Amino acid sequence: MALPETVSGFTPSPIVYSPSSTHYIYVRPHSGTKKSPQKTLPDGRTLFLVNLPPDATERELVLLFKSYGTVERVIFDLDAVELHHEEQSSDEEMEDVTKVAEGEAGAEDKPRKRRKVAKDETPKVIPLPSSNIRTLRQSGRSAHLIFLDASSLDRAMASASKPRAWPTSSGEPSGISHYMALYDSLRPPLDVVQAHADSTMELYEYELQKTKQKSKFRKGEAIVDEDGFTLVTRGGAYGQTLGGGVGVASKRFQQNGQTKRNRGKKKEAQEKEGFYGFQKAEKQRNKLMELKKGWEEDKAKVEKLKASRRFKPY
Amino acid sequence: MDGSVDVHVEDLASEGPVDTDAEDVGESGEQEFEEWGGMETDPKDQSAEEGHHPGTKPKKPPTGEELRTIKEATDLFRSSSFKLQIDALLPNIRPKASRIPPLDRFLLSLHSFLGGLPSVPPQHPLEGARRLLKKNVSVPYSVPLPSEDTNWKVGFEKPSDIAVIGSWGNKISVKAKDGIRFGVDIAVEMPDSLFQEKDYLNGRYFHKRAFYLATIAAAIKSSKSGLNVDVLYDSYSDDPRLTKLVLVPKQDNSQIDFTKLHAQVCVIPVLSPQSPIVHHRLSPSHSNIRINTISGDDSTVTNLPTPIYNSALLRALTPKPQLLATYTLQAETPSFGDALTLLRVWANQRGYGPGSRICVRGFESMGSWWGALLALLIAGEERAGAPKSSKRKPLGRGLSSYQLFRAALDFLAKHDYEKDPVFLRTKDGKHRYAPEEYQQNHDAVFVDSTSTLNLLAGVPLGSLELLRHDAQKTLETLDESSFSGDPFIDVFLVDHRDLPARFDTLLRIDLSSASPLNPSIQLTMDTGSTANALIASLTYTLRRGLGNRTKAATVLSSPSSPRSLSQAHPSNPSVIYIGLIHHPQNAFRLVDHGPAADDEDEVEKQRFRDFWGEKAELRRFKDGRIIESVVWDVKTADERAHIPGMIVRHLLNRHFGIEEDKIQTWQTSFDSVLRLPEAISSLYLGSGVTTGSKGAITAFDNLVKRIKALDDDLPLALLNVSPISEQLRYTSVFSPVPLPPSLASTMPQTARYIAPINIVLEFEKSSKWPDDLKAIQKIKLAFFERIASVLMSSTEGLKAIVVVGDGISTSEILDQASLEIVTPEGWAFSARIWHDREATLLDRIIDNKKALPHVTQKPEDHKRGREYRDAVEAKEVYTRRFIHAPRHHRAIASLSHQYSAYTGTVRLAKRWLASHWLLHGHISEEAVEILCASLFIGDGKDVGADPDVKIDERASIPGSKERGFAAFIALLKGWTWTEGLFVPLYGKDAIALAGSPQSSGVKASAESVWNISTELDKGGRIWTSRGPDLVIARRVNALAKATWDLLQGVEQGPLNVKSLFVHPTDDYDIIVRLDHGSLPRYFHNVTVDASLLSRRGKYANLLEDPSGGIRPGFDPARMLFDDLQRVYAHTFKIFFDPFGGDRFGVVWDPTLKQPRPFRVLGEFSSIPIKKESEKAKDKGLVSLNEASVLSELERLGSGLVIGMTVRV
Repeated sequence: MALPETVSGFTPSPIVYSPSSTHYIYVRPHSGTKKSPQKTLPDGRTLFLVNLPPDATERELVLLFKSYGTVERVIFDLDAVELHHEEQSSDEEMEDVTKVAEGEAGAEDKPRKRRKVAKDETPKVIPLPSSNIRTLRQSGRSAHLIFLDASSLDRAMASASKPRAWPTSSGEPSGISHYMALYDSLRPPLDVVQAHADSTMELYEYELQKTKQKSKFRKGEAIVDEDGFTLVTRGGAYGQTLGGGVGVASKRFQQNGQTKRNRGKKKEAQEKEGFYGFQKAEKQRNKLMELKKGWEEDKAKVEKLKASRRFKPY
Repeated sequence: MDGSVDVHVEDLASEGPVDTDAEDVGESGEQEFEEWGGMETDPKDQSAEEGHHPGTKPKKPPTGEELRTIKEATDLFRSSSFKLQIDALLPNIRPKASRIPPLDRFLLSLHSFLGGLPSVPPQHPLEGARRLLKKNVSVPYSVPLPSEDTNWKVGFEKPSDIAVIGSWGNKISVKAKDGIRFGVDIAVEMPDSLFQEKDYLNGRYFHKRAFYLATIAAAIKSSKSGLNVDVLYDSYSDDPRLTKLVLVPKQDNSQIDFTKLHAQVCVIPVLSPQSPIVHHRLSPSHSNIRINTISGDDSTVTNLPTPIYNSALLRALTPKPQLLATYTLQAETPSFGDALTLLRVWANQRGYGPGSRICVRGFESMGSWWGALLALLIAGEERAGAPKSSKRKPLGRGLSSYQLFRAALDFLAKHDYEKDPVFLRTKDGKHRYAPEEYQQNHDAVFVDSTSTLNLLAGVPLGSLELLRHDAQKTLETLDESSFSGDPFIDVFLVDHRDLPARFDTLLRIDLSSASPLNPSIQLTMDTGSTANALIASLTYTLRRGLGNRTKAATVLSSPSSPRSLSQAHPSNPSVIYIGLIHHPQNAFRLVDHGPAADDEDEVEKQRFRDFWGEKAELRRFKDGRIIESVVWDVKTADERAHIPGMIVRHLLNRHFGIEEDKIQTWQTSFDSVLRLPEAISSLYLGSGVTTGSKGAITAFDNLVKRIKALDDDLPLALLNVSPISEQLRYTSVFSPVPLPPSLASTMPQTARYIAPINIVLEFEKSSKWPDDLKAIQKIKLAFFERIASVLMSSTEGLKAIVVVGDGISTSEILDQASLEIVTPEGWAFSARIWHDREATLLDRIIDNKKALPHVTQKPEDHKRGREYRDAVEAKEVYTRRFIHAPRHHRAIASLSHQYSAYTGTVRLAKRWLASHWLLHGHISEEAVEILCASLFIGDGKDVGADPDVKIDERASIPGSKERGFAAFIALLKGWTWTEGLFVPLYGKDAIALAGSPQSSGVKASAESVWNISTELDKGGRIWTSRGPDLVIARRVNALAKATWDLLQGVEQGPLNVKSLFVHPTDDYDIIVRLDHGSLPRYFHNVTVDASLLSRRGKYANLLEDPSGGIRPGFDPARMLFDDLQRVYAHTFKIFFDPFGGDRFGVVWDPTLKQPRPFRVLGEFSSIPIKKESEKAKDKGLVSLNEASVLSELERLGSGLVIGMTVRV
C-alpha cells in the first residue's frame, strides 16, 4: 500500500502539518494553453499548485520552495486575476505585472488600481496602509508559482513527493492575533483615509477628463461607425436624432432586439363570443366541466390524504 | 442537563429529495399524455383528465345528481374539499357497525340478568354496607353520610325498566380521545317502592341509589352472572353522588365479548317519572340539606339553597326525556348527527371531554350538553315573558352539518353565560321552575328541554370562558382567507390540549396542603365533596381577584379514571393547573381599585380588605380621591408581565393557605434566559448608566441631532437617518447596554463585547456624486472621514473611526465602508451611506446596458465575467441593506408597539435558535422576526391600523412571551416550508406607498429552502437567501419537535426551562472547544460559568489591550466562524451559538468520504487514495483529508481553539 505517484497528472506533494496529519499539495509544471497570456505565466518555469492550505501566504509558499531555487512570484487563483487583467489596457498591464513582481509579500490582494503607476501627470493614489494580514481563501484552491529559472522547476518536480514540513511564517499573525490585527487594520487613522479618498477622487477626475477628451462621441453629433452607417437612437443622451424622417427603433427593440411579432392575433380575439348558439352551449358545458374537474381534483386530493391516514383525529 | 433537547443523528446526515410527491405527479402526467396524446391535443383538457377518478368516464358533463352534490358541497360547506374532508373524517370516529352485534348480545344477557336479580330486604344503610363489604364492594355513600341512628332503610328490588340511553341509544356516539372507550349508557330504573316522598332530603335518595348500585355491582362481579366483565365505579364530575357502574369486557372470544368494539357499558340508576319524590322541591332555590338538624334551630343557615345537589338529583329523572327529545331532533334534522359529531371532535381536541391528558375542569362528562346546544340552535329557546326581539331565532332544520357546526361555534364564541341564561324550547312551552331561580343560584344557566335540569350546573365560569375563547380562535381560523394551509387540519385534526401554547400564564398548583380560610360546610354538601368545594371556591376567588385582567381563568386537571369497587369515593386530583388568558389592555395594570374611603357602605370596604388581606391599602390618587386599592410593585418590565400570576399566588396563599413553593410558574426561568448574568448586570446597576431599549433609542436620537447639527460642515445636507438594528426595535435578545469607558475597565475580559447599532444615512440628492460605482465607494470614505472629524471636534468624548471594509471582500463596487461611532455614554453605532444612484449603475452592469442607449449585444460570456458577479452581489447587498432593512425595521418596530408580547416572543425565539447553534450562521434574525410576526398578525387585517382606534383583539394573539414562544415552536414543528409562508407584515397601505413591488433582485442560493414572503417581497427570499438549506431546515423541524415534547413536560410535573436551551452535541463529527477567556462575548452564553465572569479570571492578562480601549463589535469567535464557514463551505457544515457560544459543531459533508476523481477545483482538501497494490492502475481517486483539515482548523484558530473532540 502506497500513495500513488501521480494523480491525474499531478504529483501529490506531502506537506507535514504534524506527526499525525499530512496535507497534500498537487503539483505539476504549468503548461500554457492558447487562452492564457504567456507573458504572465512563462512556460518552463511555472509550477502549478493545487489544493493549497486555505491560509497559505505568498511568503509561506516561497519558504516552502526556496530550497529549489529563487521564486519570482506567486499568483493565487489565476482565474480571478486574469479576468481582472482583461479589463485593463495592455501597455498598463505590462507595467503592472512587473510592479507586482517587485511588490512585497501579501500585497497581491490589494486592488490593482491603487498601484497603477502611469505617466507623470497622472495623480498618484495614496494607498491605505496595509499590514501583514493573511487572506483566507476557500479550501482546495490553486496557485501558480513562478521560479526565476527553469532548472529550479525541475528540481522542485524531482523531489516533489518527498514529505516536507509546512513553514509557518511568523510575519503574518494567525488565529486570534490575526483577527485582532485585521480588526485594527480595517480602522486606519482618519488622515490616511482622507488622503486615500482624496487622491483616489483626483485620479477619478483625471481619468474622467481623459476619457472625455478621447471619446469620439460629442453631444449633438451623429454616431457614425467605420462602415459609414449612422446609428439612430431614440432621444437618449444625445438629444434629438439628427436628420429626421428616419424610423427609430422602438424601446422594446432597443431592450431585447425583438420586433413586434404577433400582430395578427389581436384581431382573432375580437370575434364575438356569444354570437352563435353552439358557443353558448359550449361555454356552459365547459363551465360544468370545470366544476366537475375541481370536484374530482378535490376528491383525489382527499383520497390521497385518506391513504396517508390523516383523517384519524386521534 | 438530563432533559436536554434530543435529536437523532439521521436528521443531520440525511439528505434526500424533498418532495417525492411532485415527481410522482409529473410521472403520472406523462403517462396520461401517452394515453391521450393521440386523441386530444389541447393541453388544457389534458390536465382535466389528470384528477379523474378511475371509473368515471372522462369528457362527459356531470349528471344532474352529481351536479347537485357539487353545488351542495360548495354552497353549504366551506368549500368542496372541506366537505370531502368532513366525509372522510366522520367514519373514523364512529363505532364500526360490524362490531356491534356482540354488544347487542351482551346487552340482552345483561338485561335478563338484571331482571332476574333477587330482592334484598330493606335494612339499615350501614348494615347493608357491611354486608356488601364482605364481597369486597363498598357502597359509595355520599356526604352527609348515613349514621347509626338514621331511621330509613335501603333495599333492592329488580329494576322496573332497563333501557339504553344517551348517545349510544341514538347512534350518535363519538370516539373519545386517548383511546377511551365508547360509552354505552344503560338506565336501570329503580322501582318506586324503594322510595319515599321525603327522600330528596339530606342525600337519602343518593344513599338508596348507592346501595342499589353496589348491589348490582356485587351481583355482576360474582362469577355466577356469566358476564365476563371488569366492574368498576366511575363518578360524573368527581361527584360521589353521581357514581355509575362501568363494565369493561374481558377478552374471551365468546358470543358476548365486545372488546373489539372498544366500548364499555355504563349502568346508571334512574328514577321513574312516577316516583314518589316530590318534584317541586328540586327547583334551584330549594334547600334540601339540613346541616344543623341535629344541633338546633338556626334556620338561616339551614335554608341556603343547594342548586348543585338538586341538579344531581334531577339527573335521575331526565335521561329518558332527553333521549326522546334528541331522537325527534335527529329525525327532523338530517344533519344533526354529523354536526354533533363535528362539534364533539372539535371539543375533544381541545380538552372539553374525557381524556388521559389534562382536561378542562367541568367538561369531563358533558356529553348531553353538546346535543342540547345544537337543539337550541335548531329549535330555538323558551323564554316566556321575555320580549320577542331578544329571543334567539331558531335556525331551522335544513342546514348542513358544517353550517350547524359553525352556528354552534358562533354561539359559543359570543354567548355571555354569566348574564344570559338559556332555556331550551320545551314541548308545552312552559317553564317548570321560575327562570329567575336559576340565575340566582347558578353561575351559568343552560336548562334542558325538560325545563328542569341546568346542564351547566357546577361547570366553572372560567371553563366556559375558555370555551368561548377557543371558539373565537377557531372562527378566526375558518374566516382567514389567506391562511396558509388548510383550516380543516387545524380545526379537527390537531390536538390543541397542550398547555404552553394555549395559556398566557400557566400555574401548577399542588393542592395537597390547601386549607381554605373559611371552609363552608354548606358548599361541601352542595358540591358533594371537599375537593369539589375547594375547586369551586378557588375558581370563584380567582375570577373575582383577576376581574377583567383575563379573558379566561381556567382550572384544568387530569380527569379521574374509573376506580375499583372497593374504593367508595373518587380520588381527587392533588395537582391542578390554572391557565390564564390575558386581556392585553388590562392584564398588567398596576393598581386595583376598591371602594372609596368615604363610601357609606362599610360592608363593601370590609369585604375588599378581607379579600386582599394585607395587600389592601388606602391610597390617595392624583385627582384627590382616596380609594381602597391594591398595588402590585414591580421593579422591571419583565416583572410587570408577571402581575396576573402574582395575583393568583397571593390569593391562593391568602384564601387557601397554599405556600409559594406549592405553586409553580415558569415565567421567571424564561426571563432569566434573556437576561445578563447577575455578575454583569450588577456592575451596570452600580454604575448608573442608562440601559435598555429606551437608552438605546435616546442615544440614537441624540446622535441624529448631533449629525444634523453639522450640516454647515458637510458638503451635502443630511436628509434622513434610518435605524436598521434590532436593538432599536426592541427585538435584540438582550436588552441593549452601552459600554462607557469608565465601566469598560471594570468589566472582565469575557464581557467586553458591545454590539454596534446599525444605522443608514441618506444625504440630499446632488449632482456632485460621481457617476461611477468605484468612485462612489471612495467618496463615501471621504464623507465618513469628514463626519468623523467634525463629530469628534464638536462632541467631547465621542470617538469616530472609518471602517474601510470587512477584510474579506475585495469587490470595489460593493458598499463596504462604514463609520463607527462610540458616544461618550458608551453606545456604539455603525453608520452607512445610502446613495440611490448605485442601484441604477449596478442594474446597468447586470442588464449589460452601457451608458449609450443603443441596442445591446448579448455577449455570451457576459454572465461569467467578474464584473457581472460583483455587480450582482453588490446589488443584493444594496437591496437588502438600504431598501428592505429600513422598511423591515419600521414594520417590526410598529408591531412591537401594537402587541405587547411580540418582542418577548421574538427574543425567546432568537435565543432558542441561537442556543441550538442556528441563528446568524444559518437563519437570519430578520427571518425569525417575520416568522414570529406571523403568529400575531394573522391575515394582516389589523396591520398598520391606527393604534388609538379600538379594534377587537383576535383571540389567537399570544398574550405573553411564553405562549408566543410555544406557538413559535409549534409553527416550526409543523411548518411544511416547501409551501412557503406569506406574512402580511406591512399592511394594505404599504403597497400603495412603495409602488408596485418590484422583483427584489435577490436570488436564492440553491441551498435555501425557506420561503417567507411579505407584500414587499413576493419572492420571499430577502432574509433567507443564505439559508437554511435542506439539512438545516430539517434540523430545525427536529429540534422544534424535541423542544415541543419537552414543553409538554409541564403536564407531568416541573419543567426545567433551561433544558429547552441546552443543545445536544452528540450529532456532530467534531466539537471545537474555544477558550472562554478569549471570548469577549462569553457573558451572553446560556449556561454561563459565573466564575469566568469575575475580574480576576485566570485569563485576565491574555487579551489585555494596552490601550484598555474597547473594540465595538469585535467578536473573534464569530469572525473565525464566518471564515471557517466560507473557507470550508464545501467541506463541512459548521454550527455555533453567536451569543457567547464556546463551541463549534462541525459535520462533514457525507459525500466527501467516498473516493472521487481528482479535480483541480475540488474545493476541499483531499488525500490521494492509497493503491491496493503496487501494480494497480492509478485511477486518480481522492477523498477528504480529515486530519489535515483538523490541523488547519487548529492553526486558523490558534489562541482561540483549545481543543477538539472528534467523534469516531
